[in-house]
Amino acid sequence: MNKGNSDMHWWLGLVDLLAHGVQHGAVKLQRVHLSVAEESFRILETVPVTRPGARVVRVWHHGISRLSYGSVAMAGAAVTRITDGYLRERDDRNVNKS
Amino acid sequence: MAPQVSTGRIQQQVAAIASGFLGDWLEHRGNGLAVPMSVFAGDTELQVEKPEPEAPGRTLCLSIHGLMELESVWDFPSRPGYHYGSYLAEQLGDASALKLRFNTGRPIYRNGQELAALLESLVSNWPVPVQRLILIGHSMGGLLIRSACHYGMVNNHAWITRSPDCVYIGSPHDGSWLAVGAHRAAGWLNRRSRDYLRVIGEVIDLRSQGIRNLSRGDVLEPGVEPQPLLPEARHYVVSGLLLRGQQHPVNLLFGDALVQQASAEGAGQSGWQLAGCANFPGVDHIRLAHHASVCQQLEDWLV
Repeated sequence: MNKGNSDMHWWLGLVDLLAHGVQHGAVKLQRVHLSVAEESFRILETVPVTRPGARVVRVWHHGISRLSYGSVAMAGAAVTRITDGYLRERDDRNVNKS
Repeated sequence: MAPQVSTGRIQQQVAAIASGFLGDWLEHRGNGLAVPMSVFAGDTELQVEKPEPEAPGRTLCLSIHGLMELESVWDFPSRPGYHYGSYLAEQLGDASALKLRFNTGRPIYRNGQELAALLESLVSNWPVPVQRLILIGHSMGGLLIRSACHYGMVNNHAWITRSPDCVYIGSPHDGSWLAVGAHRAAGWLNRRSRDYLRVIGEVIDLRSQGIRNLSRGDVLEPGVEPQPLLPEARHYVVSGLLLRGQQHPVNLLFGDALVQQASAEGAGQSGWQLAGCANFPGVDHIRLAHHASVCQQLEDWLV
């Protein structure tokens, strides 16, 4: 493999790794965010005065969070699809060569 | 003036760290960050089927790095190209100093199998007959040597008959406290009911098979009984300690920072016959790979 190809493969490898990190990281961050927020909402919902408001805020908070993290995860997944295609094509090329 | 670090060197370092953390996954995906196993003479990569070093010697001295490291870990600070192997080659005469680079995230037994095959090919294709083989391993590199010796013996490789000298420098034969800690922490966190704690456990669980092998010093395939040291070889152990006081609690707890002295000496292994064993208080895990006192000790043992 020449230097240019090797360099290109390295950069695509880095993009592939980062895209996977973004995709799975967003899902995990969402879980952390929602479960930490859940602790606060649980307390607020035990207090009669804050209960009705907390329920509404909780639905909105969770909805917006899921939408935001989900969008980031989808963007990451889209990039991994592209890198996946490249890596598979490269694998096939190498198999054919050998 | 500070030494310039090339883009290529940074790329190699990033690949080495990524391979250490996720090397098995990267290899499975065919990702360009997965480090392939290769041998270097100086800065030149050798083709093991047709090695063409500048001045081939009858003694091969191969240095094998540890987890997330590159072969550059062996170089003495501000003396690039000067390392234990090059010094020993100089003292021995008619010797070639080589360095191995490999994907440290793969299971150790798979790297051991590949190293055994690589040595077989390298020794049989070396331009002059190889009379002596010296293998120096730092940290995980030492475990790799033990693994390669086993697979070399199982496959009747010719290099085994060269009675290799095997030097294990700061190698966690009985496991590293940090790898054990990560294993236990992940297990504990995964059993929690809080999702945010389980996520931390899952992130720790992403670690590579290579790192997992370090929790018990596994060098063979799962299910294979632990094997004794290769009887045809001479085995030497080097360990370090963070502080100068041998019995200091910090040394007893952390050893050289990552590997405790007992683990580096294989105290939990049965039937080990060592040709030499040395401890260096005040020399930490990384400095063990390039320290003047260790170099002197290797000269005393091997020259």
